[in-house]
Amino acid sequence: MAASFRSVLMTLSPGCSFRRRIGLPVRYVVNVGACVQSEHSNVGGKGKVVESTEEYKFVERLIPPTRVPTPPKHEGPTPSGWTPPSETPPNLPYMIRRSRMHNVPVYSDIKHGNQKSTIVRKVEGDIWALDKDVKKYLQQLTGREPPTQVNEVTGSIRIKGEFDTELKEWLVKKGF
Amino acid sequence: MFRAALSASRGGICNRLLSSLSGESNVPSNLRIPPNLIGVPREKKVLPSASDLPVLRRCEENIPAHLSPVQTWLHSLESQDSEPLGIVDLHPDVFAVPVRLDILHAVEVWQRNFKRISYAKVKSRAEVSGGGKKPWRQKGSGRARHGSIRSPIWRGGGVAHGPRGPTSYYYMLPMKVRVQGLKVALTSKLTQDCLHIVDSLEIPTPDPHYLQDLVKHRQWGNSVLIVDVGEEFPQNVLQATETLKTISIIPAIGLNVHSMLKYETLVLTLDTVKFLEKKLLWHDSRFTALYPFKLPYSDWP
Repeated sequence: MAASFRSVLMTLSPGCSFRRRIGLPVRYVVNVGACVQSEHSNVGGKGKVVESTEEYKFVERLIPPTRVPTPPKHEGPTPSGWTPPSETPPNLPYMIRRSRMHNVPVYSDIKHGNQKSTIVRKVEGDIWALDKDVKKYLQQLTGREPPTQVNEVTGSIRIKGEFDTELKEWLVKKGF
Repeated sequence: MFRAALSASRGGICNRLLSSLSGESNVPSNLRIPPNLIGVPREKKVLPSASDLPVLRRCEENIPAHLSPVQTWLHSLESQDSEPLGIVDLHPDVFAVPVRLDILHAVEVWQRNFKRISYAKVKSRAEVSGGGKKPWRQKGSGRARHGSIRSPIWRGGGVAHGPRGPTSYYYMLPMKVRVQGLKVALTSKLTQDCLHIVDSLEIPTPDPHYLQDLVKHRQWGNSVLIVDVGEEFPQNVLQATETLKTISIIPAIGLNVHSMLKYETLVLTLDTVKFLEKKLLWHDSRFTALYPFKLPYSDWP
């Protein structure tokens, strides 16, 4: 695996394709970040090529990870506006988990260019209690109760209207 | 006497006549249970939370704060009557997920169909030999007008809308849907008392009857699927399950929804549980693939 990766990186130097086009001879160069001469031992009078794997650490640090990192500890909102979830889950009959990027799972949806709705996903526990609370909160906000669609199988609620920022703040204030 | 007559005339019209005459319900012969069948009703499993046995395995992955691990017994295959060795903690995000039957159905149907290539092909009117010439002139012969003797309305002609060539039914469900299917299947097996955890697969004899008696004594069901991690299994288990059709052994990478639904009981070792939790929980907190996961990543094993 390491060898194949290295072969992928043994690319032509940037000027090579240009040189090829105008018919000049092309030299293959290993694209490595830092200076290389110190690692190669003396070629010697016999002209032997020495293979060294010391420079691979410059490749390894470029390879990305697969897991989303856990964010560092913050007390309260960060300068960007992100708030971590509370340490203990709130004492409510339902629970709303964070997404894999540690955000509140409230999304806005739009159909036919004008029908806006809001979706609250990843709801566990008593979803109807959350539905009641959401309707009460939006009644206080807007003065009318928005129609909602509760999907018990997937644990999501679809609310008619665009309330994603308001619902996100409300959920964060609750501690989810 | 009547039953003997029924069994003798199986598969004929007289069968239906006799059953209607006798007044029996029209149950097919393979579902009819004889009244003299001796069967022991299945015992209800005692929940491990009420016992004093120690918890022998805790989850290695982090459990969310609002969930607690699911518990089940740890058995041993050493002897038929051995008591459970202890209690095992299982991760709730693998073994206690909401049971999405629609995802289970989708994954099962996908597993059946994505490998299917139907080779059915019939000749159309262009491919059947002959039929290039107009059989008779257009007007004047008194017969219906035709252009070729191999048109679909002719005997021996091509098929109009038949299957055309090998068709592939390949499609891929999203990776996360397939992973959720596995989690749902494991959860269903656990909640329906069909999942058993075993410390290791060491059995005293390579005799298949030992395994069959053990399964029957412990009422594990009609068919058992044993799953272990690694490339090497103990020789005794391999020999015992080689000739048996109802008890099979597979490596953990071969675990799939279809096999879990086909076999009634699932037996996992502790290493398998650790492997499954690690692999299935990784999908919950991973980035989307920048390049295929087959290529190296920094924290990929």
